[in-house]
Amino acid sequence: MTIWARQQGWLFAVLVLALLAGAFWFYASHHAEKPVIRIGVLHALTGTMATSEAPLVDALRLAVEEANQSGGIDGAKIEMIVRDCRSDAAYCAAQAEKLITQDKVEALFGCWTSACRKAVKPVVEKYHHLLFYPVQYEGMEQSADIIYTGAAPNQQIIPMVSWAMQQRGRRVYLVGSDYIFPHAANHIIKKLLVAKDGLLLAERYVPLGERDMDAIAHDIAQLHPDFVVNTLNGDSNRYFFAALQKAGVQSRDIPVFSTSFAEAELAAMGPALMQGHYAAWNYFQSLPGAENRDFVEHFRRRFGANRVLDDPMEASYIGVRLWMNARRDAGTANRDAMKAALGQQTLNAPEGIVAVDAATQHLWKTARIGQVRADGQFEIVWQSGQSLAPAPFPFFIPPGERDAIAQGLP
Amino acid sequence: MRIFSRLLLLFLLVSMVPLALFSYFNLQQDEETLRAEALGRVSTLADKKMIQVKSYLTERERNVRFLAQSPRVVADIELLSDEYGARAGGVYLREDARARQYFDRYVDESGVFRNIYLITPQGEIIYAQKHESDFATNLQNGPWRATPLADAFRDAVSTLEPMISRQDFYLPSKAPSIFITSPVIADGKFIGVLAAQLGNDLFNKVASDSGGLGASGEAVFARKDGEDMLMTTPLRYRPGGREILRLNLEKNKEIPMVGALFGTSGEAVKKDYRDKEVVSAWRHLPELDWGMVVKLDGDEVFASVYRQRTWVLEALLLMVCVSGLLAFLFARQISRPLEVLAKTVGEMAEGNLDQRADESAFGELGLFARSFNRMTGRLQRLYQTLEARIEERTRELSASNEQLQEEIVEREHIESALRDNQAELQRKQEMLIETEKLGRIGSWEMDAVSGEMRCSDEICRMFEFDPAQLLPVRDKFLQTIHPDDRMWVSQTCRQTKEACHDAEYRLNMADGRIKWVRQHCKNYLDATGRLLRTVGAVQDITASRRAEDNLRIAAVAFETQEGIMITDAEANIIRVNHAFEAITGYSPEDVLRKNPRILSSGKHDKAFYEEMWRQLTTAGIWSGEIWDKRKNGTIYPKWMAISEVKDPTGRVTEYVATFSDITQRKQAEEEIRNLAFYDGLTGLPNRRLLLDRCHLALAASQRSRQYGALLFLDMDRFKTLNDTLGHEYGDRMLVEVARRMQACVRESDTVARLGGDEFVVLLEDVDEQSAVASQKVAQIAEKIRASLSVSYQLAEHEHLSSPSIGVSLYRGNEEPVEVLLKYADMAMYQAKDAGRNAVRFFDPGMQLAVESRAALEADLRRAVPEGQLHLYYQIQVNNEHRVLGAEALVRWIHPLRGMVPPAQFIPVAEESALILEIGGWVMETACRQLAEWRIHALTRNLSIAVNVSAQQFKLHDFVNRVESILRTCDVDPSLLKLELTESVVLSDLADVVAKMHALRALGVKLSLDDFGTGYSSLAYLKQLPLDQLKIDQSFVRDIATDPNDAVMVQTIIDMALNFKLNVIAEGVESEEQLSFLKLHGCMAYQGYLFSRPVPVEEFEALLVQQSGLYKALSS
Repeated sequence: MTIWARQQGWLFAVLVLALLAGAFWFYASHHAEKPVIRIGVLHALTGTMATSEAPLVDALRLAVEEANQSGGIDGAKIEMIVRDCRSDAAYCAAQAEKLITQDKVEALFGCWTSACRKAVKPVVEKYHHLLFYPVQYEGMEQSADIIYTGAAPNQQIIPMVSWAMQQRGRRVYLVGSDYIFPHAANHIIKKLLVAKDGLLLAERYVPLGERDMDAIAHDIAQLHPDFVVNTLNGDSNRYFFAALQKAGVQSRDIPVFSTSFAEAELAAMGPALMQGHYAAWNYFQSLPGAENRDFVEHFRRRFGANRVLDDPMEASYIGVRLWMNARRDAGTANRDAMKAALGQQTLNAPEGIVAVDAATQHLWKTARIGQVRADGQFEIVWQSGQSLAPAPFPFFIPPGERDAIAQGLP
Repeated sequence: MRIFSRLLLLFLLVSMVPLALFSYFNLQQDEETLRAEALGRVSTLADKKMIQVKSYLTERERNVRFLAQSPRVVADIELLSDEYGARAGGVYLREDARARQYFDRYVDESGVFRNIYLITPQGEIIYAQKHESDFATNLQNGPWRATPLADAFRDAVSTLEPMISRQDFYLPSKAPSIFITSPVIADGKFIGVLAAQLGNDLFNKVASDSGGLGASGEAVFARKDGEDMLMTTPLRYRPGGREILRLNLEKNKEIPMVGALFGTSGEAVKKDYRDKEVVSAWRHLPELDWGMVVKLDGDEVFASVYRQRTWVLEALLLMVCVSGLLAFLFARQISRPLEVLAKTVGEMAEGNLDQRADESAFGELGLFARSFNRMTGRLQRLYQTLEARIEERTRELSASNEQLQEEIVEREHIESALRDNQAELQRKQEMLIETEKLGRIGSWEMDAVSGEMRCSDEICRMFEFDPAQLLPVRDKFLQTIHPDDRMWVSQTCRQTKEACHDAEYRLNMADGRIKWVRQHCKNYLDATGRLLRTVGAVQDITASRRAEDNLRIAAVAFETQEGIMITDAEANIIRVNHAFEAITGYSPEDVLRKNPRILSSGKHDKAFYEEMWRQLTTAGIWSGEIWDKRKNGTIYPKWMAISEVKDPTGRVTEYVATFSDITQRKQAEEEIRNLAFYDGLTGLPNRRLLLDRCHLALAASQRSRQYGALLFLDMDRFKTLNDTLGHEYGDRMLVEVARRMQACVRESDTVARLGGDEFVVLLEDVDEQSAVASQKVAQIAEKIRASLSVSYQLAEHEHLSSPSIGVSLYRGNEEPVEVLLKYADMAMYQAKDAGRNAVRFFDPGMQLAVESRAALEADLRRAVPEGQLHLYYQIQVNNEHRVLGAEALVRWIHPLRGMVPPAQFIPVAEESALILEIGGWVMETACRQLAEWRIHALTRNLSIAVNVSAQQFKLHDFVNRVESILRTCDVDPSLLKLELTESVVLSDLADVVAKMHALRALGVKLSLDDFGTGYSSLAYLKQLPLDQLKIDQSFVRDIATDPNDAVMVQTIIDMALNFKLNVIAEGVESEEQLSFLKLHGCMAYQGYLFSRPVPVEEFEALLVQQSGLYKALSS
C-alpha cells in the first residue's frame, strides 16, 4: 500500500513537470510579437471610376482576409491600407508616394485607367517598389516594378476583334473615351484591320464621364457597321447603350464589343440595355470549375449574396494571392528576392491556371468572349485553345510604331 | 498482475523510456533538418530545370519568329498561295524547291525542328518540308482540323502572335508533337502562318536530362488528358518502355505531379508514380500546360538518417537486455518468500486446516504468518460444534414421513367403486349412437340457462366436426351453418315458446361443399315461462335437394341463344325454346306435334337426309351444316346437332336438336378466303393466286395450243416517291396503277401484284401463230406502258412515273411457270437498262450471255488447281537498253477454250473473289521465279513487277501474306515490285498508306500503275510512299502525235522527278515514242518495241540475246 502510493506520487510529479514545460513552449512559440506586414491599395472610391474601382477593394480585402486566416506570412498578419484616388491620376501618384514612404507598405495594388498607371509608374520605379495592376490595357509597356495581372492586347482586344470580324464582317466602328487606353487600343485595332483586310468606318472619342451619346448612336445607326468596338470607360457606357437603344440599334444587328465593362458595371447599370452585346475578358463569373465556385461563394458570404464578380476583381484577387505566395517562397521582405520568386509563380486561379511570365511581368491567360445574358451574366461564346503567353508588344506592329501607340497618339 | 512482473516493468519503465524518447527526438530532429535541406535543394534544382526547359522553348519560339520575318518565307507564301492550285506548274516547282533548300538547315529528325509548314490565312497547308498526310490539307475543315497544329494555327491567326501548341499525338507524323506557329506579316498585312514541329528527341533530351540530380534523381513531365495524366517525356525508371505511362488523376492524387498539373508549385516528401518515397518539387509549365516534378529518392537523401537509426536501435536493444536481466534478479529476491506464504494460505483455504504457515520469514512477513496461524486454530473449533446439531434434525424428519403413507392407501378403495358405475353408462350411450347412425338423424340438446350444448356423434359426422377441436360445441354447430342461414336458425332455437319448430337450412363444409339438413326442435319452459332447454333432431336431406336443383337448371339452360327442338321417337315436335322461335320465326303453337320437315328449305336432296338419319341411328348423334327456311320464306345456313335420348332399357324416347344461325360466319369465311388470294391494297390477285392461275393457263394452253404471255412490270423510281412523299402517296399510286392496268386488259386476263411496285399480267389465249401472238402482246404491253406513263394526281401532288415491262411468251407447259416469270423479269431488267419506260421481250440470247458467263466462272474456278494459269513476262529496260526486270502477266490457257484473253476473265474473277486466289498464285509464282533466277548471274538482279488488285490489297493480312511468301521462297524483297492501280489507292487512304509503309518496311518496292488515268490528285500522291510511277500506255500511244498527251507525259515525268520517284513508261511500241520519252527524262520502258509478254523460257532466251546486244551497244 505504501509502496503504491509512493509510486503514484512520483508519476504525478513527472506529469506536472511535463505540463509546465509544454505550457512554456506553447507560450514562447505563439506569443512572440510578430510585426504586421502592410500593403497599400490605390483605387477610386469617388468620381467617375468609382463604380468600376470600388468593388476591386472588396476583392483585395477578401484575398487579404483569406491569407490571414491561413496563417498570414510566417505568422505575421497582413494589413491593408486603402487610399481613395478620387478618379484623379496625379492625386493617385501622390498617394502612392505617401504609402511607400510614410506607411512603409511592402507592395501596392491599384489603378484602373492607363492614365493612372502611367502617373503612378514613375513613383514606383523611383523607389524600386512593387505595383500590382489588375486591369486589361493597351500594352506597349513593361516595368520591372509592375506586375500586370490583367490582359495584354493579345489576350483580349486582338482576339476579340479577330473573332468579331470572322463572325460579323469587316466593317468596323470604333468608339472610346478620350484618354490613353482607347486611343492606344484603337491604334492597335486599326493596325489589325490593315493586317486582316478590315474596313474602318469611323473612330469617335468622347471625354471621360460624357453623357450625351445621341450623336454617336445616330451615326452608328446611319453607317450600319458590321460591329462596334467600344473602349468607353466608366459611366459613359450607360449613356452610350441607352442612346443606342433610343436610336433603334439592335444587338443582333450591330453588336457592340466592349473591353471595359464587366459584370460589376452590368449590375450597376442593369443588364437590359446591354443584353446580346459582347465583352472580352479572361474571367467571367459564369466560368465553370471548383476554384471559381469557391471564389464566388466566399466573396458572397463575405460581402453579400447579391454581389457580382468580374475580371478586374478577379485579377486584383489573384494579384494578392501571387504576392503572398511569392512572399512566402522568398521568406524575406527583400524586394529583389521577392521579384525573383514572383517570376516563378503559377496559380490555380478562378479563371484557370495563370502563370507569371518572368520576361514581361505579365500573366499567361486564356482569352474569352462573352455575350451578355438577361441575368447580367455572360454566356461564353469563344475561348482561346490554350493559355496565351502575354505579348505587351504585339508581334504584328513594327517596333518603330510602339512609342506612338503607347502615348495614345493617333 | 504479480508483484514480480510489476517490479520488473517499473524498473524497465524508469530506466528505458527516457532513454528511448531522447534517442527518438534526437533522430527526428536530424531527419527534419536533412529533409528541409533536401527540399531546399530539390526546389532549387526544379527552378533550374524549369528555366532550362523554358529557355529551350523560348529559343525555339525565337527561331520561328525569325523565320516568319524572313523575306524568303514572305516570298514563298505569296508565290505558293497563287501557284498552289495547279501544284504542278513550273513556278510552283521552282518555289517549292527553293523553300526546301532554305528550310533544310533547320529541319532534321533529331534536330530542333522535325518539320516546317507554310499555311495560308484560310488554313491551307501549301508547303511542308516533309510530305506527310497533312500536306495540302486544310486546317480549318480538313482531316487534321482537331490537332495541336490546327489549334496553334487558329490561335496564331486570332491573336497574330507566335504560339506554342499543346502536345498531343499527331497522326500524320505518328508521334506526340508540339508545334510553334507564327503569323507572317508583310507590309502590315497578315499573309499566312509559319509552323514548325518541334523535334521530339532533342527536346526530350533537354527536358528529361537528369544530370546534377544525383544517383536517383529524375525530372518528370506530364500533361492532363481528360481524367488522366500522361507522362510526356521518357521516364528514367521505365527505360525503353515504349508504352506511355498514363495514370488516373483521382486515383493518384497523392503524387506530386497532380499539384503541378493544377497550376501550383511546391515541394514535399511524397510517394511518386513508382509508389516510392521521394523528395520532390513540382512546378507548372505554362508554355505547354505541363506539370514538372524534380525528385530525388528518399532512400538516397535519408540514407545517413537511416544508418543512424539502425545504430541507435541496436544500442537500445542491448541496454534493454542488460537492465532486464538485473531487474529480473532483484524482483525475484523480493517476491520469493511472498510466493511460499501465498501457497500455504492457499492450501488452508481448500480445507486443510491442520497446515501451519512458516513463521520464520523475515520482517513483516513473519508477523503476518503468526497472526494467521492463530486465526486458523479458532476456526477449527467452531466447525466441530456445527456438525453435532445437524445429526439431531435428521431423526425428527423420518418419523413424520411414515404417517403420510397410511392415508394414501385408504383413498384408492373409494376410486374403484366409482369406475363400475361409469361402465354401465357407457353401454347405454353406445346403443343410442347406433340408432342415430341407422336413421341418419342426429340429436342435440341445449341448456338455455348455462348456454351449453351437447351433440350426438351423428351430428358430429353430419356437421363434420373435428372432435379434436377445442371450441365449445355450440360455436362449432353454429359456425357450420351457412352464414346466410345462421342468424335465423339460432333465433328459432331461442324462441320462448313451448312448441316444435321445423327448419331447413344449409351447412357450409370446410372444403366448400354445401349440405342441406332438416331440423325439428322442441323448447322446454319452466312454470314461469322461462326457456329451460331445447332439444333438436337433425336430418341430412342434401340428396333430395340436389335433384330439385337439377330440374330447375335444366329449365333455364333450355332457354339459350341456340335454338332447341325436341321431338318424340316418331319425330313429332314436342317442345321448342324461345331461340328456336327467334331463329325460325315459328312460334311453339305453329310447330308443336308437327314434323320438323316443315323447316326444310328444299336445298338438300333425299340422300342428304337419309345419310343424316343413318348416322343418327348408328352413332346416336349427328351434326352438320344445313340450309333451312324461315317462316318468312328466307333460306339460311345453320349448324345443327341432333342427339337421341334413350330410356334405361335402351329404347329411343326423344330426339334433341340444337342449332345456331351461321349466316354471319359464312360471310366472314368468304372474306378470309379473299384475303389469302388477293392483295390487300389493290384488290388484285396476289402471287399465290397468280401462280395458281398460271398453272391452269399453261395446262389450258397445252390443250388449245394457243400462245399466251406473261408481262412483268415495275414502276420506275417508285422508291424515290416513297422516300420523298411517304408511303401514303406510294400506296395511292399503286392503287391507281392497278386500276389503269385492269382497264387495259380483257376481263379474262389476270393482273396480279407480286409486292412492292412489281406487277404481272397474265394474257391467255392470244393466238395460235407465234408472230401474230407477239404482235398482239406487244400492242397490249404498249397500251399499258402508255397508260401508266400518264401523270398521277396524288392528292395535291402531281407525280410523273413510267413502267419498265418485260414480256415472255409461252405455249403449252414446256417451261415451268417459275422459269417464265424469271424470263419476264430478265426482260424487264433489259428494259430498265435500255433507259426505262420501255417494253422488252425475253430473248434467248440474254439467257445465253448469263449462262456463258456462269460457265466461264465455273471453268475459272478450276483453272488454278488444274494448273491452267501461266505467268508471262514482259521485259523492262532502262535508257541503255539494259534489262531491269519484267512485269509478270497472268495468262489462262483452257484445254477447250484455248487462250482466254485477260480482259475476258479478269473482270469475272474480280466479281467473284476468285481474284484473291489468282492474285495469290501470281505472287507466289513470281517469287518462286525470282528464287530460281538467284543462281544465275544474268538473272540475279532482275526484278519482277506483280499487279495487285484492289480486293487483294484490302485483305487485312495482305502484308503478312506477302511477307510469308517472301520468306518461304527466300528471295530479296527489293526484287519484288508491287504494281498498285489508282483504284487500290483511292479507297481508305489511312489504311492504304499504313499498308504501303509496312510493305516498304519489308523492302518491297511499290509502283503506281496506270498513273494519270484516274482521279488521283497530287495531294494523294504525296502521301503515298511510292518508288515508281508508271505512265499508262494510253498516253504513250499518241505521244508523238497528240500534243495534249505529250504535255501530260512531260508533267508526270517532272512530277515524279520532283518527288524523287522512278518513272517507267509502258506500251512503248515505236522508236519515236522511245526517243520522246528519253528526251523528257523517262528512265525505264516496257512495250512491244522490246518484247511482248512471253513464257519464262522465251524470256530467258531473250535475256541472253539482250545481254549480247547490250554488250554490243556498250562496247
